[in-house]
Amino acid sequence: MAALDKTPSGAARADNTEPILSVRDLRTQFFTSDGVVRAVDGVSFDLHRSETLCIVGESGCGKSVTALSILGLIPREIGRVVGGSIRFDGMELTKLDEGEMRRIRGNRISMIFQEPMSSLNPVYTVGFQIAETLRIHQGLSNKAAAERAIEMLALVRIADARRRAGEYPHQLSGGMRQRVMIAIALACNPQVLIADEPTTALDVTIQAQILELMVELKERLGTAIVLITHDLGVVAEVAERVIVMYAGRTAEEATVSELLDNPQHPYTRGLIGSIPRRSTPGARKTTRTRLQEIRGIVPSLREEIPGCAFAPRCSIATERCTSQRPPLETHGPRHSAACWETAPSSALTATSPRS
Amino acid sequence: MTTYILRRLLATIPVMAVVALFVFFLLHLTPGDPAAVIAGDDASPAEVDGIRRKLGLDRPIWEQFGLYVWNLLRGDLGTSIFSNLPVMTLVKQRLEPSLVLAVATLTVAVVLAIPMGVLAAWKARSAIDRVVMGFSVLGFAVPVFLVGYLLIYVFAIQLRWLPVQGYQPLANGIGGTLRSITLPALALGMTYMALIARITRASMLEVLSEDYIRTARAKGVATSSVLLRHALKNAAVPIVTVIGIGFALLISGVVITETVFNIPGLGRLTVDAILKRDYPIIQGLIILFAASKVLVNLLIDISYTLFDPRIRQ
Amino acid sequence: MAIVAEPLPAPASTRQQSGTMRWVRRHKTIVVGLVILAALFIVAVAAPWLAGDPLQFEPTNRLKKPSGEFWFGTDQFGRDVYSRVVHGARISLIVGLCVAALATFLGLVIGVLCGYYRRIDGIVMRFMDGMMSIPAILLAIALITLMKASLFIVIVAITIPEIPRVVRLVRSVVLSVRARPFIDAAIASGTRNSVIMIRHILPNTAAPLIVQATYVCASAILTEAGLSFLGAGTPPEIPSWGNVISLGRTFFQIAPWIIFFPGLCLAITVLAINLVGDGLRDMLDPRIARRM
Repeated sequence: MAALDKTPSGAARADNTEPILSVRDLRTQFFTSDGVVRAVDGVSFDLHRSETLCIVGESGCGKSVTALSILGLIPREIGRVVGGSIRFDGMELTKLDEGEMRRIRGNRISMIFQEPMSSLNPVYTVGFQIAETLRIHQGLSNKAAAERAIEMLALVRIADARRRAGEYPHQLSGGMRQRVMIAIALACNPQVLIADEPTTALDVTIQAQILELMVELKERLGTAIVLITHDLGVVAEVAERVIVMYAGRTAEEATVSELLDNPQHPYTRGLIGSIPRRSTPGARKTTRTRLQEIRGIVPSLREEIPGCAFAPRCSIATERCTSQRPPLETHGPRHSAACWETAPSSALTATSPRS
Repeated sequence: MTTYILRRLLATIPVMAVVALFVFFLLHLTPGDPAAVIAGDDASPAEVDGIRRKLGLDRPIWEQFGLYVWNLLRGDLGTSIFSNLPVMTLVKQRLEPSLVLAVATLTVAVVLAIPMGVLAAWKARSAIDRVVMGFSVLGFAVPVFLVGYLLIYVFAIQLRWLPVQGYQPLANGIGGTLRSITLPALALGMTYMALIARITRASMLEVLSEDYIRTARAKGVATSSVLLRHALKNAAVPIVTVIGIGFALLISGVVITETVFNIPGLGRLTVDAILKRDYPIIQGLIILFAASKVLVNLLIDISYTLFDPRIRQ
Repeated sequence: MAIVAEPLPAPASTRQQSGTMRWVRRHKTIVVGLVILAALFIVAVAAPWLAGDPLQFEPTNRLKKPSGEFWFGTDQFGRDVYSRVVHGARISLIVGLCVAALATFLGLVIGVLCGYYRRIDGIVMRFMDGMMSIPAILLAIALITLMKASLFIVIVAITIPEIPRVVRLVRSVVLSVRARPFIDAAIASGTRNSVIMIRHILPNTAAPLIVQATYVCASAILTEAGLSFLGAGTPPEIPSWGNVISLGRTFFQIAPWIIFFPGLCLAITVLAINLVGDGLRDMLDPRIARRM
């Protein structure tokens, strides 16, 4: 399979290799009649080849907008990327024109959406919708694209793929539709797959199947995945690294075990504290504690927030937190957080030896 | 799908029955003696009597109705009071210009209005959008005859590009027909275009905000293809529905447009019948126009299956 | 995406304006429409003082061009077109208002009964479907042909074909309201049908009905003009806009002003009513407003 060529060898996959996707200080704003909404307000992360990165946060924290910004899919009439950079495989995506972006979308970076029920076009067969991507990006003939579409349906484990290819979305279940979405997204062997809450709308049993399928196909095709979710359970299951987003900003970034075992940002701590834990052998750190809640509400993104966005809800916030924005600082190996209070002092950080 | 079409077909029967019933009883429910009204103020009692007999008004009402329905089923729309010719014969003589006008108008309206609506939705809130919306608001307000006379004034009288009035039958060559029908079709099509452009825009805006449009864009589909292939087909059902609704406007407009442009079609037949109070002709034309509207709506219902696979089941 | 937005942030100055100004700014179309209609209303009421006798023949002044003396020119009988147009405004407004009121009232009653009593619904709606498939102008023509022409008959004849659309609208609102839980609660607690209809159902029909009434009004004015134009409308001795235009038909090529001025007034009037209607619809249903 051609995709295997893209997979870098294990040796090359060290931390110092060039990331396939690198987002720096991304800022996306919407312009409403009531003022500017800072939906994404300084998000940075790197995605390495064949890596699974999760972006976690409450709804409205800018996860989806980040994803749409990467693909240049923010509707121009209502908003746009106002700052920062998105580098993909040596290209600066924010500088590309619409035609150049189109050649990347669905081809080198694909996306899966939350709503499998409404994300497929109801008036075309699923086979057509998969084949369309192949015709656009690989210049396949109608016939070749249709054949390849059937192969893709089989790849995402849809039984009787040939018959299903001729069916319309309304004839398929939610789980099957999401498989079709995955087939569309992976049809051109993209280097990056962005999945925006791909399992949220599905039944719990189907959720696990879809996640499993994504992980398996990732391994097989070598695609790097950005998985957007609000579900820390999903994170624990599939992620290698995690970004925690709050109010359009990166709050914390770490490997999955580091984040779950040693959260630095008070918001992350709150998030982890708010999920019920089972005392099954598989669960980490089984402690019998009261389920915590994060008090207060998400701040309005209409006003500029000078300090830490989480400060009003934070139990350890000081005056500095409300006036000065905390930078993303290294808290350990492959672990950084944007918090004044939990950060090792700046002098210490500078000389901090690797533990 | 066959059951769907069959069901639609059956649904037209009660509608046409109501139309027939309505048209028939209109004559009897109106206050006063219909024969006297039709005969006019100057008629002698003998003339009124003649009309009463001709219309069969002297017979029991159920017998009249039975005969009326039986004749309708045989395709007999009645007989003109004044010319004594069957209404069907008069209709056949006048059918061509009206049919040509209706088809031309429909074509002009659809061909111009749908791209206008698509463009307005795509460039929502832009200058183009405002022009299209402005046009559609105006198109609703300006009466057909005003548009008609303005077009005649500019293109026929001032610029002399097209004939002022009249109709060239198809038998004399299609070129002449097209020239004679251009201005009437534009005048008649104005309201229709306004209607179609407006609904196309609204329907497209609705569809363009759907998740599957985002999917199409995320797949790297080109803008033109997103608009025409992914969006327009989904937006089609309300658009075709409005084309059907607008067909009634078209029929009313045909009557006026033919008067403005002096076209010897069914509209002129109607107007002449009004002036002579030739009620059987009006009755027959109502049945005919209603039937054509029902037929158009039936075709539109069936056309839904082309656009939406969900209706096919 | 759930974000609903306008393209530009509102300039700071609008925020400081008074509430009224803000409302005017927000609902420009309603204001413009209402101003035009108010002017028209004044003209209609004050017609005898604003213009001379619309019926006065002056054979020496036949087909005069618009001038200082005859602002809109004269017709083939030497009558002042300006005076006829000013008086015509009365007819158009009377027809529009009467038809809108009558059709809305009758449509409301039939629609509520249909939506509420399912038993009569089937029959009445079949009947309405049948009526709707008859082109409005032809139905009106048939009615007028069968009765002695008078302004009242014209109003009745235009009202009848407008009713089914109102019925459909009201019925659909009633059906959707009926499906809501509070109606079940009212029925369960033994509230009388009449009380449920008046207290719970009628208020919900008000907003769409008001919007519909404006469209009926506009459509009625156009239909009246169309009927008069065809010679099947308001009796010719009454100077309605349609009648003026109808008379101008034969002399169109040499005296286009006879048609142009009443036609223009007609268009402006209908435009104003539609603007109010569109504005009201946008105000009462912001969801649609975003799209239309």
